[in-house]
Amino acid sequence: MAISFPSTDYFEALKGKMTAQQEKFRRLGFIDTTFGVKVGNNGKARNFVLEFEVFDLKNVREVDAIDLKKVDFMIEGDARVWREMIENIHRNGEADSSHDLNTLAHFGEQLKIVYDDPDGHDKLYRFMESIQKFFDLSSQVEVSFS
Amino acid sequence: MAYLSTTNYLEDKDFIDKWLYTMRTGEMDLSWMKAATEKVKPHEANSRRGLTYRDLDLGSYGFTGVPEKVRGNRSYAPRGAEIPAGVPDAQPWVSRKSEVWAFNTESYYEEAVSRQWNVTTDIPWERLDSVELPETIGKALSQLMTFLTEVEMIATDTPAMWLPRLNPDFIEVKAFIAAQAMDEARHTEAFRKRALTTGWGLMKASPVNEMALKHLRDADSFSEMSVALHLVAEGNVLTMFRFSEYLSPTDVDKRIFRLVMQDEARHVGYGMQHFKYVLENFPEKREVLHAHLDEAENISFAGSAATELTESFIILAGGGLKKENIEEGIKITTKFNLKQMEEHFERLDKCGMPERKQRSKLYQMYEMGRAAAEAAGIKL
Repeated sequence: MAISFPSTDYFEALKGKMTAQQEKFRRLGFIDTTFGVKVGNNGKARNFVLEFEVFDLKNVREVDAIDLKKVDFMIEGDARVWREMIENIHRNGEADSSHDLNTLAHFGEQLKIVYDDPDGHDKLYRFMESIQKFFDLSSQVEVSFS
Repeated sequence: MAYLSTTNYLEDKDFIDKWLYTMRTGEMDLSWMKAATEKVKPHEANSRRGLTYRDLDLGSYGFTGVPEKVRGNRSYAPRGAEIPAGVPDAQPWVSRKSEVWAFNTESYYEEAVSRQWNVTTDIPWERLDSVELPETIGKALSQLMTFLTEVEMIATDTPAMWLPRLNPDFIEVKAFIAAQAMDEARHTEAFRKRALTTGWGLMKASPVNEMALKHLRDADSFSEMSVALHLVAEGNVLTMFRFSEYLSPTDVDKRIFRLVMQDEARHVGYGMQHFKYVLENFPEKREVLHAHLDEAENISFAGSAATELTESFIILAGGGLKKENIEEGIKITTKFNLKQMEEHFERLDKCGMPERKQRSKLYQMYEMGRAAAEAAGIKL
């Protein structure tokens, strides 16, 4: 059954895949960061906070708004961009060179990285490969878009 | 030989007699068994993570208790060991904690160890077999890789030079610096391999880049080195790696840049936390740090604007050497240059030096560059 994006179910599904592929994520190393995901849609937004610890996604929750002082950074984008990224991952097994997170977010034209503390912002890059591989797990999940 | 043992043991009768006596009689000294040291039993705070340096932050073995001025250990004795008379003075250059310490140093080291990777086996080099880049793109990519190889070689030498100069009580910092040297050696390897796999060989060394790198290598103090290397140079290089990933012509290049940026960001993290630590614990050093920054910003401005780097970025960003390619390449590269400077000042601001903009010549360059970009119709 397809899992709706955006939703906590979607992130929980990726979490399950991450746990099932422990060896791969252990090989990438510790990932200790809490970040927000904001999906905009016609002036409204759904917000999620993802808390990674050691090798796992420890916790994911939907919130009304993301407090930038309580997360390292937030990845913000329109539902259309998120959908294009996830569909691309699904087609290719991983994001192709036009759809990886850094490319989409680099000049803030597609996705935007928002942060309060540049040290928190740099955590996106400290854990970039783990975060990218986490989103690449979307290739193993049937996703529907509301 | 800079150092000769004060005793010639091979000709010292008492020493040789004792060696033979122990062999002959089996009589042992065993005084070390009564070492006047603390007994502790560390436990993993998180079994998934394992036994970390932070778990060892206990009593005389811990880092929390290391004083600002380490006077008790000038030998090679590990922190917490009994130090008997007769150990040599290792003459560490740095015995002041605030000169080297950073918040969470031990975590940066643990993260470094857990996130090591292997250039030979973790990069899908075989995918390049089917890649044929246009000549200008291939050469520009190789020039970028040549430039970065030059950078990373000195980024390996520089922290490594400081290792024996640090007091042995700063175990966690020494471990982090050793891991950094390994990271930078790996980056040198990655960029050299990628330059050669373009098929064009290496391109040209950069005099301006090398002048900048020499400044890093020849820093007079650890803090000066850290400001110049971790905070300024690696901060700029981190933005450069992200930009390079963005411009990468193949997914192999993307993977290389994603992996190197992880290491680089960790070094910047240490640099920021060290800078904050100095400002909070050694406030009288603020003016000295400004002076370090004056020089570091000067050389980083020069390095970032080096012809060999800028032109390869313009070609990669614009997709070639035609007029329209160059126009597009200049727009994108200018945005990157300004972003690099913006992020530098953001970091300093958050570290507790918001006044930096007012006295920085680099900030004047940033404002001048921004105005020029806007005048040229570049959307920022």
